[in-house]
Amino acid sequence: MNDIRLAWRNIWRNKRRTLLTAASIFLAIFLALIVRSLQTGWFDHLISISIQSYTGHIQIHKKGYWDDRDINNSMPFNDSLTAVIKATNNVDKTVPRLEYFALSSYGKQTKAVMISGTNPVREDALTHLSRKVIKGRYLDSSGNGILVSQGLASFLDLTPGDTVVFLGQGYHGISAAGKFPVAGIIHIPSPQLDNQMIYMNLTTAQYFFNAQDRITSLSITLVNPDEINATVASLRSKIGGEKYEIMRWDEMMGEVMQALKAKIGGGKIIIAILYMIVGFGIFGTVVMMTTERTKEFGVMVSVGMQKTRLAFILVLEMIFIGLTGILSGVVTALPIMVYFHLYPIHLWGGMAQAFISFGIEPLMPLAIKPGFIISNIISVLIIVLLTCIYPIRKAFTLRIVESLHK
Amino acid sequence: MTNDLIYNDLRLMTNINGMNIIEIRNLTKVYDAKTIPVYALNGVDLAFREGEFTCIVGPSGSGKTTMLNLVGGLDSPTGGEIVIDNTDITGLKSRMLIDFRLRNIGFVFQSFNLIPVLTAKENVEFIMQLQGVNKEQRDKRTLELLDSVGLSDKINVRPNKLSGGQQQRVAVARALASKPKFILADEPTANLDSKSAENLLEIMEILNREENITFIFSTHDPRVVAKARRVITLEDGKIVGDISKN
Repeated sequence: MNDIRLAWRNIWRNKRRTLLTAASIFLAIFLALIVRSLQTGWFDHLISISIQSYTGHIQIHKKGYWDDRDINNSMPFNDSLTAVIKATNNVDKTVPRLEYFALSSYGKQTKAVMISGTNPVREDALTHLSRKVIKGRYLDSSGNGILVSQGLASFLDLTPGDTVVFLGQGYHGISAAGKFPVAGIIHIPSPQLDNQMIYMNLTTAQYFFNAQDRITSLSITLVNPDEINATVASLRSKIGGEKYEIMRWDEMMGEVMQALKAKIGGGKIIIAILYMIVGFGIFGTVVMMTTERTKEFGVMVSVGMQKTRLAFILVLEMIFIGLTGILSGVVTALPIMVYFHLYPIHLWGGMAQAFISFGIEPLMPLAIKPGFIISNIISVLIIVLLTCIYPIRKAFTLRIVESLHK
Repeated sequence: MTNDLIYNDLRLMTNINGMNIIEIRNLTKVYDAKTIPVYALNGVDLAFREGEFTCIVGPSGSGKTTMLNLVGGLDSPTGGEIVIDNTDITGLKSRMLIDFRLRNIGFVFQSFNLIPVLTAKENVEFIMQLQGVNKEQRDKRTLELLDSVGLSDKINVRPNKLSGGQQQRVAVARALASKPKFILADEPTANLDSKSAENLLEIMEILNREENITFIFSTHDPRVVAKARRVITLEDGKIVGDISKN
């Protein structure tokens, strides 16, 4: 009879109690994993949408552009800069954009719009813009057709084939005016953007704003997003940090990131409270298991079992109960996480509207990351081990004669 | 006075024979020493020889159990020495004392105290496992011991499926498993019916006679006293009688 088998048999002496304790651990780890998976999934979804729909992992601007997004803060864009960036390790795709505001007019309606001049092929590779076309066609590589967001098109009463007039201020204050045919209508999940976005060819936009060979931002996606800091450092050293601002996606989404971190922090506090409650439950079991077997401990030490070995068996018992709860919790939670990771929950009603209002697709994918799974397992194991202090102390301070009289 | 004389004579005899496995010198155990001192044992001198079948008798509170606890190293004395096989166990550290008990002393408790999750075989084997005996030897000796106490058909039965007498016989087998120098049995028949008690005593007597195993009992049971070859009487923590029978 080895210690492992002895400990395993001991925990099943009171099946109901062991099952209840394991069930409380199961419930805690199950809920913790699902909550963290939902939170992380939502977080990742948001980031992924933001990266894929606009920012990329990294953006390069002229120094000061991010705080003052004026066309006069645009930067020259040429083949040599592209070549340097493309040659940087870990850089995958790049999308140059020239973005600025103008006034649009069609018929009797006028509205302020954001014009985004971009490379249609590269933009599509990064943001899959062509998939957002709901009427008409996507941008040509050379033509001067434009894409109008659905909300704006509805306001101006535009359909593909109509011509829109733009009036605005170009680079260095030059008047910008032009008329452009509507190639297609696109739907953007964010209502704010859906009411104001115009996409056109980069060269067309540069001509309109009189900003030849200039861009306001260069979005970059990475092969391995985990190495973003090394890539940023590499870009800084190659193109010069004093002329350009090279920003990570999380820097560009500062407020959103802070809100998300606060949300996740709140979730962690709830999980910590849950663990604390479970911890007290486990401790209750430990106290009962220890107290009702004090005489048996006395007998074991009497006949020659060292107190260290007795303590080891008691710790093993608690680890077994802990692992039973943990493994069953993980095994139950994982398939759910995997399923909703592959097939995200489609939100509906008010919650879906709330997501849309933030420019997020109303999807709730669950994330599967070894990090939070392992950290939750370790957290529960630590709680279990902390509760073991009591039986360990009991074993080492055991008074044999007194225990034999229990 | 007469008892004291007899005791002194016997003590002298055992010392002369020089075969003592346990020597107790001026053993004292005081409870609540700082408030109202209660002398559970008061300056006891005693010796046990190999192969004895001895019982310690006396009224409740006379110090019988205290004596066994001290000799078994389960409790520490207030004063005096307990020398077992040339080792003064009162000076041993906790770890060494536990190890000493494992290798030298067998215990039979009043309420059996088998480990409930282990079968009869595993309970007996448990001690040898603590000693680090290999599996082959453990299996062989366990079966021999259970056979010797008449339980070879109950090897895979857990204690809760055994009668009190059967449990106590497993306890005896467990006590013998470590090949101890002696076995301490604290009122081993107290929780047994008369038939089981007779049966248990018979087994222990045979083990003592045929395998020269030393048994020291504390008891109130006249059947045990009748079987014992030496009877030590304690009263108020002192030895008031020590009689050897032929």
